[in-house]
Amino acid sequence: MNSVDASEHYELGATDLSPSLLTIIIDTNPHAWALLEDSLPLSKAIANILVFINAHLACNYANEVAVVASHSQKAAWLYPSHNAPRGPSADHDGDVAMNGATDAQLPETNKYRPFRLVEEQVTRNLKELMDSTTGDDLRGNMSTMLAGALTLALSHTNRRTLAWAEEHGGANAEDTAAEGNGNGGTATTRYSASNEDERLQSRILVISVSGSTDAAHQYIPVMNSIFACQRLSIPIDVCKLSGDAVFLQQASDATRGIYMALTEPRGLLQYLMMAFLPDQRSRRHLVLPTRVDVDFRAACFCHRRVVDVGFVCSICLSIFCEPPPGGDCMTCGTHLEICDNAKPALLPRKKKKKKRVNGASGTGTPMSTPTPGP
Amino acid sequence: MADSDEEYVGDVTEDEDDLQVTRGDNPRAKRKQRGGAEWELSRTWETLVEGADGTINSTVEGLLEAGKRKRLLKDTTPLQRGIIRHLILILDLSQSMSEKDLRPTRYLLTLRYAQEFVREFFEQNPISQLGVLGLRDGLALRVSDMSGNPTEHLAAIQALKTQDPKGLPSLQNGLEMARGALFHTPSHGTREVLFIYGSLLSSDPGDIHQTIDTLINDKIRVGIVGLAAQVAICRELCTKTNGGDETAYGVALNEQHFRELMMDVTTPPAAYSAKESASSLLMMGFPSRTVESHPSLCACHSKPSRGGYLCSRCNSKVCNLPAECPSCGLTLILSTHLARSYHHLFPLINWVEVPWRRASRSSACFACGLFFPSVPLEDHWHMAENQTKGMSVSSRYECTACRNHFCIDCDLFAHEVVHNCPGCQSKSTPTHSDAAKPAPGRMDIMA
Repeated sequence: MNSVDASEHYELGATDLSPSLLTIIIDTNPHAWALLEDSLPLSKAIANILVFINAHLACNYANEVAVVASHSQKAAWLYPSHNAPRGPSADHDGDVAMNGATDAQLPETNKYRPFRLVEEQVTRNLKELMDSTTGDDLRGNMSTMLAGALTLALSHTNRRTLAWAEEHGGANAEDTAAEGNGNGGTATTRYSASNEDERLQSRILVISVSGSTDAAHQYIPVMNSIFACQRLSIPIDVCKLSGDAVFLQQASDATRGIYMALTEPRGLLQYLMMAFLPDQRSRRHLVLPTRVDVDFRAACFCHRRVVDVGFVCSICLSIFCEPPPGGDCMTCGTHLEICDNAKPALLPRKKKKKKRVNGASGTGTPMSTPTPGP
Repeated sequence: MADSDEEYVGDVTEDEDDLQVTRGDNPRAKRKQRGGAEWELSRTWETLVEGADGTINSTVEGLLEAGKRKRLLKDTTPLQRGIIRHLILILDLSQSMSEKDLRPTRYLLTLRYAQEFVREFFEQNPISQLGVLGLRDGLALRVSDMSGNPTEHLAAIQALKTQDPKGLPSLQNGLEMARGALFHTPSHGTREVLFIYGSLLSSDPGDIHQTIDTLINDKIRVGIVGLAAQVAICRELCTKTNGGDETAYGVALNEQHFRELMMDVTTPPAAYSAKESASSLLMMGFPSRTVESHPSLCACHSKPSRGGYLCSRCNSKVCNLPAECPSCGLTLILSTHLARSYHHLFPLINWVEVPWRRASRSSACFACGLFFPSVPLEDHWHMAENQTKGMSVSSRYECTACRNHFCIDCDLFAHEVVHNCPGCQSKSTPTHSDAAKPAPGRMDIMA
């Protein structure tokens, strides 16, 4: 950043400095972590993740991090904690530290401040979250609020992107001008994926432990979030410790993120460091661990069978493995005709030819267009 | 943005209340009298009110927020929408497009927006078909054929940039060609035509009223974005083919408005009646992805590639989805493509404005943590009342299901991009009785 040689500075351009925002979604579903207790307890995993966060923050002085917990009955912020009381010096200049509240007496005063802030808040908020979880919440609730966590992460990313673009007005102003003259700040709201290099580089890392079997009711919200990520070109990286998550496979595939299912959960830190630390720019030059066999199965709505040729209702897009009884869609109740890509029959084609003839004769008649009638 | 929100509430309320009132009422009254020509008389300078600090920043910020909000407030009742669309985009390539009233020229701007339109169209309607035509020298010319692949259309529109607009346009020829292109489309999809029309005339070979009648018979809807002024025949065309609805015809006031008019068309249209589009069960294939050790030719482009998707009926290899299998004609699609359209079917409800009375419940946006302006003393409350409709005095917007408060940016983001409410999704639904209201629709589809 302190490049003395001016020419070098211009050649490199601003792209080298654009920081990245890493949002980590930690699946804190207690059921799943209990199963992992032997190989990787939650406390150890959190310690590993904190080391990883520090590594990310150390890569660039302007890098940012956010941590969301996707718990069994709610999704909550771990860092930055939004619900903390407004600090006396809280300014809106987009300071990296979102929360100015610091406890005065702390043992680790020699620690790099951003590291310390993240560590304190994550551990404190996670403890609060765990303390607030009662046995009743857990009974009969095996899933995790992935959709909520993704939505929160995206909202935060959006806020930081807007704030960053405002601070670094130069690149964005050109973009705005190119989008259409004189439309002010509204151009950014179309969320076009243009000039990726000059924006805040954001990505989302999901540390997932729960299976997705219970998540059927979250299907639409999760998909909506995935499409939003795709549109904003935010990759979703998935680090899978246990279970099986079809949605997450599709998420990382659709957004060109990294999907890794860890065979050895104890090596979490190693995996994180080697596979998930590089940001989007570095990834262009790397051979990334990708997954070939993405599960694109479509399950029919009627029997939950996996289908490769199915019937789709043209009104509500429900998938059926066979034409529903009576020809009525089971989701929206519309009466459906079965159509096998039927091309128009002979009769309408004849009719059309007739019209063509009429049209041709109409060409002969001069421009005797009547007055604009009814 | 954040700090100016705070100023705004204080400033505008203190001074010229009456000016604010005139701004709110006048344009609407005029629009009624003059049939959509309110821009001729709108006094834009009156909308600028100096703040207490002598600048107009606060008002400008307020207007921006009101503008954002205005775009958001749309009808969210779940409608039957035509998700499977067949649309012909017709571009005016006649000499009137070389005018420079829209910069750089009408022609270049139209082409640029057309490209954005194509991208956005396929983003919103992944299983739809699009074709592009042009009007030049009194003829209709085919720019790109009906297909579901955006890159072909983008390349074809890009190629137009090197040519110059010339001659006169012919509405009738364009309509007839579009009718021909839409003739084969199955009846379960919509048939639509969108004109970008910069001319004030149409040099037609025959009686355009006959063409309009045939369009009505063929259930083709026509929408027109005019670039110059309102033209009677265009208005008639839109009204008649849309069942008396005039909103399909819009005349662009400026670049931004032009863009908005075009982008509005990317939202799937509501189905007017069951008759118009016969609902049907479509047979679709959900192919599996394959990666081969040796490259082989794909059936769609005859290009060697290793990856691809195998048609579930005939095992031909296609390289991109969604597509129609080139050999057996089966529609091939991923279930994610279908999921992409679900937000049109189950839209997110509009959030409501929060008056100061209820504002003290929150100090920061639930989703992004932006601090809201703090609640002023009670006697300041009424001053903020006469503001633009749809804008919240307290900068807070509330989801009626989960009762959380959000800022304007998150409101916009949630409704335009994510289509999820961060609040509702962050709580488990069974414990929350209010949240159950929008939930049944979401559940049904999976049940």
